This record gives sequence, structure tokens and C-alpha cells, in this order.
Amino acid sequence: MKRLSVDERLARNKFESNDETPHIIIDRQECRNCVHKACIYSCPAERYQLNADEELIFDHVGCLECGNCRLVCEKLRESKPGYKWNYPVKGGGVIFRQG
Amino acid sequence: MSDEHFPVIVVGAGLAGCAAAYRLAKAGYDVLLLERGKRPGGKNVSGGRLYSYALEALMPGEWLDAPLEREVRREMIMTMTERGAVTVNGLLSPNHSGTSYTVLRSKLDGWLAKKAEQAGALVMTGVTATEIVIKDGKACGVLVGDERLEADIIICADGANSLLAENAGITNKVTMENIALGVKLVVGLPEQTINDRFNLSGEDGAACLMVGDCTKGLAGGGFLYTNKESLSLGLVVDASSIKSAKTNIADMIEELKEHPAISPLIVGGQLLEYSAHLIPEGGLNMMPKVFDNGLMIAGDAAGFVINSGLTLRGMDYAILSGIAAAETAIKSIQAADYSAEQLNQYEVMLRLNVLSDMETFKKVRGFMKDTAGLYTAYPKLAETIFKSIFTVDGRPAKRISKVMINSILSHTSVWQLIKDGVKGALSL
Repeated sequence: MKRLSVDERLARNKFESNDETPHIIIDRQECRNCVHKACIYSCPAERYQLNADEELIFDHVGCLECGNCRLVCEKLRESKPGYKWNYPVKGGGVIFRQG
Repeated sequence: MSDEHFPVIVVGAGLAGCAAAYRLAKAGYDVLLLERGKRPGGKNVSGGRLYSYALEALMPGEWLDAPLEREVRREMIMTMTERGAVTVNGLLSPNHSGTSYTVLRSKLDGWLAKKAEQAGALVMTGVTATEIVIKDGKACGVLVGDERLEADIIICADGANSLLAENAGITNKVTMENIALGVKLVVGLPEQTINDRFNLSGEDGAACLMVGDCTKGLAGGGFLYTNKESLSLGLVVDASSIKSAKTNIADMIEELKEHPAISPLIVGGQLLEYSAHLIPEGGLNMMPKVFDNGLMIAGDAAGFVINSGLTLRGMDYAILSGIAAAETAIKSIQAADYSAEQLNQYEVMLRLNVLSDMETFKKVRGFMKDTAGLYTAYPKLAETIFKSIFTVDGRPAKRISKVMINSILSHTSVWQLIKDGVKGALSL
């Protein structure tokens, strides 16, 4: 079986994400001060990435809703201002067909 | 919409929640089962092996119709080095008791929720409960958006990443140190191909547990389960180790696919799904208070998972805790008493199975986490011993005992081996 990128793998999953309202919110400015940026390598769906301006961006579409980012990020964990971790509402997000 | 009142609201249609709702409905009690997924099972992930005694306890005989994948008859333990592996492979006789089955949760949980519904439970999907409503020190409902659903008893079965009990201040926040991160690939293959590759006949299944290079030296392990027409290949790694090692588990699983011991088993397969899930591994150390006034916490949300050294068990305990929560709720409704004193019965029931097992295995996780040799030196040692025994190159032959001692000395020290051995004996 050939190696697949995370995006190729996620393309096999079913998602019904609401494009406008992310269920996880981060503060890009505040994230600049983060010393570990552990979300980048701790997210199994690689949803946290640095853009060309070295700003941390989070793409909620494709999130597997595991919750590991909430464990590794102190700000998400403590719901610091500008940070919020919730599950998607109204049945949105990933829909596992195997599980 | 006006506020509605139910005797019991169960949050989360996983195994714990479905079991609780099924039991309550079967006994003739009104119960509302809330599920945030579009359909039950849509958010649920497991490695994939369920011990059937728990299903038998939940629904005697009826579970035989459940969409289970294969009965595990072949058990394998694989220690892995970078390019090699030593595997112990056992075929269990057909009359062994305590069977286990490989499962895919999307199908199984969907079926269980349907059973609960048929028994009379009201199942609402696509509904994310955001808060437990506490009034005068008693849980009395849940919030779904702006709507309030009231109940005498809430059974909180919202999974490993349980926001509900945490937000209500009933449990402490889970910490990374008590959690493992699991990722899984479900790989589609024809049934006959699976039977041929795993040396299986009929609907028999295989379970392979891996330890060693699959987790690149981090505490954790791998698994490979045969489903009817797919394989579940996954890794479970200690979350804090991933953070400190700055390793990416998403890459680790792709590397595992290419390992010489794994690659021939999955070749030609089609990826059907990629999933990830948290596993509350902390055991008794992380267990919250599992009941309070008007509230019980069940399944992963309560941390009912055991690391026995080789296996992680959570699904059977989820079902047992769901049953115990339902039985306790019934007694509580009959007594019209929803206080913590009354619900204490829940913990009393859990002490008979879930909690006593957790006590038995309480030292294992520490041992598995702290014994680095398990993930690097010992798999290498196993391979070296095998290699030395089966290498014939015309040089003077050595007796097996000599080969073993030389192998041990090349990968660890005798003292370290004894220390780990003693620690292992005391914890496992």
C-alpha cells in the first residue's frame, strides 16, 4: 500500500462540516508567543499549520475530533480568551462509516 | 420549544450510553438518549476488539445478531525492530470460553442504539449537549444550545474527551499524562485474501498486537485486527510522550504500513477510513468521582479503561458500567431518591467488576510507560536471539545458552534485564 499524505487519507473520510463556524477557535496573534506549538505535530489530522507569515492557522474541516489539541495546548485547555474547544453542533464534522 | 422532562437522560450513544438506554428501556422506563453524531456510531472509534461476555451480560443471546466482524481465534504478539519482527502466533481451540470479536463501531453502535430504540428509548441524533444543568447542587438536566432538557438522572457517557462533566466542575480536567492517542487505518481487502494472509478459515479472525519500533521508542503499541472484509491497523501512543518527543503519529502509522512484517499483509488494500481517538489510560489515578446528586458517569468519560500490559480494554467496561448505571437509575427512580447517597449504589456495583479489575492492573501502565527497553532494546534482543539461533555461516557453532547471553549483553545489561523483569513481575 503506498504511502498517503494526511490530506489523501482524510479524503477517504466523510465530513459534513459547516464552513463558517469552526468548533475550535485559536488566536493567531497569541499563538505567536507559544513556545512549543505542540498542536502542529500532535494533531493526527495535521490541522494546525504555519502559514507563509509564520502564523499558526487551524483548519477545522478535516478535524477528526479526537481532542488531543485540547490536551497539549494550555490555552485551549483553560479556554483562555480567544481560545475555545467544542464539538461541532447539529451533527456536523466527521462522520465515521467504519469506526 | 418548551422545557421537557425525562426520568433519565443519557448523553452519548457509545457502548456505555447505548447499554444504559437499552437496559432502562427494556425495563420499561422512559429514557432519552442524546447523540451528537448525525447517527449513532458516527463519532465512535475503537481499535476494535470486544469481549463478548459484556454483550451477553447486556442482552443474553440477543447479541449474537449484532454486526460483529470476526471471532478472534488467532492471537499474535509481534515485537518489532526497524526492519525485522519476532512473532508469537497462537491458534486457540474452538471450545475456549471468553470469546472476543473484532468490531467496527460505526456498525455496532448503530445496531445497539436501534435495539435501545426498539425497546422504547427515545434516541435523538445530531444533538450536542453542551452543559449539565445543576440546580441546588443536583444535576437536573442538560443544555442543548438554548434548549433545556430536564431529567431526574443524567448518565454522562460522552466519551474520553468528556466536556460535560468537566464543564460542570464535577470532574477534573483530564491531563495528557493520563491519555493515549490512537490512530487507525481501516484497509479494505477481500474476505478470502484476509483468510489466506492470516491463515484463517471461515469467519475466524486474527488479532495482532505489536510492540517496539512501530512507536519509534515511545510508550505504546500497535494493533492489527481482521474484520470481515477489512483490516484495522492502528497505533496507540502515550500523548505526553508524543508532545515531548515532537513526533508525528500521522507519519508513524504510514511508516508502519511499510514495515516488512506488515506491508505484505495489507498490500493491494484500499484505505476506507482514517480515524483518531483518545484513550483514557490513567486508570484509578485519573478516575473522577463517578456519581453525584442526580448524575452518573459511565464508560470512557469515567476513565474505565485498563492497560493490562498487552491489551487495552475499555469497550467491555463501558457496557458493564452502562448496565450498572441503568440498574442504579431504576432503583433510584423506584425510591424517588436521586441523591448521591442513593446513587452510591453505582460504585458498589462497579466494585464487583470494573473497579476491581482496575485495582488489579493499577501498576501496569506505570511499568509500561517507564520501561524504555520494551520499545527498543527488548525487540532488538528478541530479533538477535532468533537471528543467532538460525544463522549458520560455517563459523564455529555456539550453544544456544551462549547465544542468548551474548545477545543480552549486546542490547542491554543482565542487571537491567533483571530489574525490568522484577518490576514487570510485580506490576503485570
